[in-house]
This record gives sequence, C-alpha cells and structure tokens, in this order.
Amino acid sequence: MAIVNLQNVTYKYPLTEKPALQNIDLQMKEGEFVAVIGPNGAGKSTLCYTLAGFVPHFFKGELTGSVEVARNETSKSNLHEWVLNVGLAFQNPFNQISGAKYTVFEEIAFGLENIGVPREEMKGRVKEAMKMTGISDLADRSPYSLSGGQQQRVALTSILVMQPKVLVLDEPTSQMDPIGTREVFSVVRTMAERGMTVILAEHKMEWIANFADRVIALHEGQILVDGKPGEVLTSDVLTEKGFGISRYTSVARRARELGLWKRDTLPVTLEEAVKGFKE
Amino acid sequence: MPDRLSFYLKKNSIIHALNPFTKLTLVFAIVTYGLIGAGFWTATILVCLALLPLAFTARLLKEYLGVAVKLILPTAGFMFVMQSIFIPGGTTEIFRLGSISIELETVQRSYLIASRIFLFISAFALLLLTTHPSELMTNLTQRGLPPQFAYVIISTLQIIPQMQAKSLTIIAAQRSRGLDTESSFIKRIGLLVPLVGPLVFGSLVEVEERAIAIEARGFTSTHKKTYLHEVPDTNLDRAIRTILIALIIVAVVWRVWPS
Repeated sequence: MAIVNLQNVTYKYPLTEKPALQNIDLQMKEGEFVAVIGPNGAGKSTLCYTLAGFVPHFFKGELTGSVEVARNETSKSNLHEWVLNVGLAFQNPFNQISGAKYTVFEEIAFGLENIGVPREEMKGRVKEAMKMTGISDLADRSPYSLSGGQQQRVALTSILVMQPKVLVLDEPTSQMDPIGTREVFSVVRTMAERGMTVILAEHKMEWIANFADRVIALHEGQILVDGKPGEVLTSDVLTEKGFGISRYTSVARRARELGLWKRDTLPVTLEEAVKGFKE
Repeated sequence: MPDRLSFYLKKNSIIHALNPFTKLTLVFAIVTYGLIGAGFWTATILVCLALLPLAFTARLLKEYLGVAVKLILPTAGFMFVMQSIFIPGGTTEIFRLGSISIELETVQRSYLIASRIFLFISAFALLLLTTHPSELMTNLTQRGLPPQFAYVIISTLQIIPQMQAKSLTIIAAQRSRGLDTESSFIKRIGLLVPLVGPLVFGSLVEVEERAIAIEARGFTSTHKKTYLHEVPDTNLDRAIRTILIALIIVAVVWRVWPS
C-alpha cells in the first residue's frame, strides 16, 4: 500500500491560465527517499506544496484528481490535520523561524506546543531531534543570531521533531555549504531508513545520486522521467530539455563521443567517473 | 544592533520571580488608584511609595530611573507645560507672558494629568523591565488570550530589529551602486523611495512564507496547546492577587458609592 498516492493531479494557481501541475501520477512506498529535479518553474515547489497540503488549502486555486497521503484524501481533510502526517521545510531558512521564540530550544518545541504534546515528552523529543541533526550546542542561542545554514538545520529539526510520516523538503540545502549539505542529506537518509517517506526537491545532482532511492524529473508541470537515480540523472532527455546535469555526466558523455568512455552507463558522481575512466 | 527589542533585564529578585499575571494585576491596581484617588498628590505619592520601592526591590532602581527620566519624564513634562499654557479656564492668574496668562487652576490640573500619565507609563515600564515578554505572553495565552494575538506581539518585537538590519543591507546595496546618501536633507528624503520598495514588498512576500512555516508546525491545530515552560504561580502570587483585587474593588466601590 503506497503511503503517497497522486492520481491524475492537475493544479492551477488562482488567476493563472497555465496549470502548474499536469496529470501527475505518483505513488511512493513507505520509507522511500524520492528526489524531484527540474528547472525553475517546472513545478517542484508546487508538487511539494501539494503533498504538504498547502495546495489547495492555503493557496486555493483549482485542483483536480486525487491526492492521498497516509490514507487521507486532501479534499476531505483540512490543513491543521494534514500537517500532523506531512512535514514541510523549504528554501529560505529565515522565514521558517517562527519569530515567537527566543531560543533555538523553544523554537523547535513550538510545533509540539501547538499540537499539545505533554511537557516532559516535549523536552525529550526536542533534545533527541537536536542531537540527530547535530545542533545540540545551539540550544540556548537566539534563532536570529545563527548563520543561514544553522537556521536551515533548526528549521529542519523543527519539522522532524513533529515526527511526520512523510517529510517534504523544498530545496533545503540551497543556502548551505558542502558540509551542511552532507549533514542534511545524511540526516534525511537516516530518517528514510527508519521508515519516514521523504520527497526532496533539489538541484545538487551528485548528492541525489548518492542518497536518493528514486528520482523524478519534472518539466513544465509534468513528469518527464521517473526511475533509479543512475538512469534518470544520465538520461539524454534531461540535456535536451535543458536540465542542469552533473559535470561528471557531461564529461563522460563527451568522452563517449570521442570513444574514451567504454561503459554502457554514464556516471553521476566523481567516484563512478574515476572508476569508469580507469577501465 | 540589538538582537531583540525588549526592556527586560534579568535580575535575581522577588519581583522577577512573581507570576506575570500578578505583576499585571499590580499595575492595574496602581492605575486604578492613580485614576480614582481624589487627592492632588495621589499619583505622585504612588510613584514615590509604590513604584520606587518596587524598582528597588527588583534591583532595577537605576535602570527604572533611567527609563523614567529619559523616556517618560519628557512626555509627561511636555504635556504639563503645553496644558498649563494653552488650556484656559482658571481664575487666579500667576503671571502673564504677553497675551498668554497662566492660571493656578490650570497648572494644578495639568500637574494632575501629567503625574497620572507618568505613573501609568512607568508602572508598565516596571512590568516590562521585570518580565520576559515571552513569559508574559505564554502566561496570558494560558489564561485565555488568543495565541494569534500573543504571536503578533512577540513576533513584532523580534522582527523589527531584523527589519532594521535589512534596511541597512538595502541601503548598503544601493550605495554600492552609486546612490548618494551624504548630500542635502531633501535629497536624502528621496533615498527613502528605493528603500521602501524592497523593504515593504519584500516583507509582504515574507509574510506568506512565514504563514506557511508556522502553519506547517500546527499553529492552527485544534488540539489543546501545551507549554514548554511552566510559569510558576505560587500561593504567594495568589495571595497578592487576592489582596490587590480586593483593594481595587474597595477603591471602585468607595468612588461609586453615593456619599
């Protein structure tokens, strides 16, 4: 039984003519880590908002087809129930800080206060979540005194602490350095291994290749390719449609034209490229 | 650059340890007595015999006097002077300045008003000096204040310094592209135009994202909220509140009772 089930979903934002999502069919298994790629305007964020319930409950607009997450149907639910199952973190860390709290510890507890978690359990969950994302040392700092990368990890922790079944991340590493990015990816990987279903919109191809189970390429609101990272990220269609691809893929493709790349498949990461060129 | 906007000063005192609601009741009692106390000197006496000892007990006498002298006294003083000069109605002229005459009754009435204003503002200042804003709001939310209201107050206190920082960034960005910020006053008024666009419209966009962020964390959840921090409410607090409320009732009844 799929935990995420989208059938023939088409969505138009209010006052627009062109649908932001068109005929999306998507099923995800529990514990699956799915990455969504696509150029700007391809519908990545809209897909994230749809899974997180903000489309259509927050943005209004016109949604057809069926969106089902953890056996709830979006049209029969409302946002404050939906967010108990689906957590959302997005790009700009500064705007994800609630502004209602004076320390990082309080900030992370904010969601648990709202959904009525008892005090002792709340403290335990906050500590555990902070340990997992490696921000325990920031507990007493003001959320506004942190760097962008630290704020983003606080935002991610604030969602993880609520223990959603499905975690939706919309370009969460865009403000992060490589070290921060690695930490986020490995935390997310761990969550997926523990059974949380993860959907991540992201541009960093090499990271996706290393961590995700499956990749979906979106183009003009439609699913273009859907499959294993190694296949999707090296597919020729991506280059034709103007997706950003990994530099290792480009180099190997050029090498193949020159007869220097012997393998059938193209690499996405440095390690694969090194191995391939050594042959 | 302050990272938050608040009067609060942490000290280890009995006043700080009181429940915020007790302190709020105290402020309310002081305001009530200041308003309906009949005597000319009531407000002044309350400042001297209630606020100053309270500030002393809270170990904030110096800070309290600083706020009072720098912030409240100018306001109250200005009102006193203006009202004394421009409100007519007295009969006993003290002295005359050209066509303006200053009468004893007006001066007395102005003093009454100004001293009351001084009392009210400084009672609230003392509350804010001794109470952490989030503690105050948490406590009031627990007592039935809508959380949306508390959120607006607290987030405004935090976001204003952020907006100040952002406006400095925008000005720096505009200057690096050649915007003149050091010429005449009139020209610099024009500087506000390129600042207002990014700052105001940027903030409006941020509001939507922030709404999504707090919604994603169950802000509108229908569950009964819980609170990370317990705000202590002791027997002492309850006793003080009972006495204060009794005092307020006595004052009101005494005033309303037909004599």
